[in-house]
Amino acid sequence: MRNIVIILLLLVTACKDKDYTVPVPKDALQNDCIKRTLGPNVAGLNIEFAYAMALPLNKGKIVSAQVEASIAGATGTYLENKSYYTNGSGVDVGIQIGDPSVNENNFTKVNFTKDTNAVTLRYYYIIPKEAQGKSVTFTFSAKSSDGEAVSYKMGPYVISKMDMVLDLPVKDGDFISIANMAVYNLADAATKTDKLDLVYLFRSIPNISFGHALVSPGGEPDYLPNVTLPTGANKITKVSKVWNLRDFHLARLQYGIYIDDLDFEQLKMSDAPDYAINLKAEAGTWIETADGKYRAYIYINKASDANKNAVISMKRYTLK
Amino acid sequence: MKKILFLLFIAFTSCSKDHPVDEDGLLITSRAECYVSNFELLGVDFQTVRTKNAVIDTTACTIDVTVFYGTDLKNLYPQFTLVTDAKLDPKITGKVDFSDLANPKSYTVISGNRKVRKTYKVLITVQSK
Repeated sequence: MRNIVIILLLLVTACKDKDYTVPVPKDALQNDCIKRTLGPNVAGLNIEFAYAMALPLNKGKIVSAQVEASIAGATGTYLENKSYYTNGSGVDVGIQIGDPSVNENNFTKVNFTKDTNAVTLRYYYIIPKEAQGKSVTFTFSAKSSDGEAVSYKMGPYVISKMDMVLDLPVKDGDFISIANMAVYNLADAATKTDKLDLVYLFRSIPNISFGHALVSPGGEPDYLPNVTLPTGANKITKVSKVWNLRDFHLARLQYGIYIDDLDFEQLKMSDAPDYAINLKAEAGTWIETADGKYRAYIYINKASDANKNAVISMKRYTLK
Repeated sequence: MKKILFLLFIAFTSCSKDHPVDEDGLLITSRAECYVSNFELLGVDFQTVRTKNAVIDTTACTIDVTVFYGTDLKNLYPQFTLVTDAKLDPKITGKVDFSDLANPKSYTVISGNRKVRKTYKVLITVQSK
């Protein structure tokens, strides 16, 4: 009985809370950084970071902040010169703390013009085409008026090999080139027959569901009813229908799904057909070109039965 | 002490095998019913390719299913719903090629007591224009 009382006493005392003490800030310039974007890093898109820096009020103020990228960002790369807070209505309000950032080779820099001792700046790195398949690292740094300097390394981040094109309008009888990531009408297609991988068509045929379709120009004529093909357009492209794969980059909807390089690498297309009919908006198709050079995912953003047209977006991966 | 021994005895006896299992580790029961109650056929996009419900003839052991025009018959996922405790042979492990319409695929349903076997043929008709 005595033992039980002792055990109970121990349990009760073990639950006692420790007194809270306010943490003491370091007496120096400090910094921190987070990456805000998710998903694969595709050329043309940005990688967003939030870089925070602060020093005690009595130590002075921040004079500059800069980012060094191991591969210079494409045009449009910038470091914010505003610090944001969210007001009562949920709107982000920016307060300017310095001059607009300046890009010089691999560096992006903001010089502070306001007396600031704590700030978080956003950095938007536009991924350049030449970074595809490479890794990129970032060094964020800040300087204060008392001569202190801090830095924070981020990365390395692998840049995807994928290319992407958004919102290509296609109409009945148009041709899609995966190699050029473009859409051609019949007249333009006649000069590019070696680049025509798919025909987009819409057919409303009684008793069957044909609708919107992507068909190889060299495929079964049954799936190309009343389609005029330029002479020499005869590629057999592999096409595999997909539903519910609304890639975040292509669809720009609320679904956090991303197609990455690995998906294209592991895709099995050997027994795929050369056509896909009865496609709908928000559906997609995996594609492999006849020469095996490219794999792609074509997503249908919009499809109109009445107008016999659609809007497509594409991610493409080069295999060879 | 006597109580503990008694409890241990109960625990051991409750673990003993009362029911036999087959080579798949599935329980062999007393049920002799042996039929397909529902059939589904999905495309590579995991959407149905049937134009209407499959017609299951449990006497003739056939499943008649009409699929949409343009269905890729080489890459289909069949789904069988069987009577309680029954199992299917061969097992469906992935995509199935149904493109050879002249030689329909056959699947055998095996009853819960593993004594009755019925082989069903899946007869596919493609919707025509």
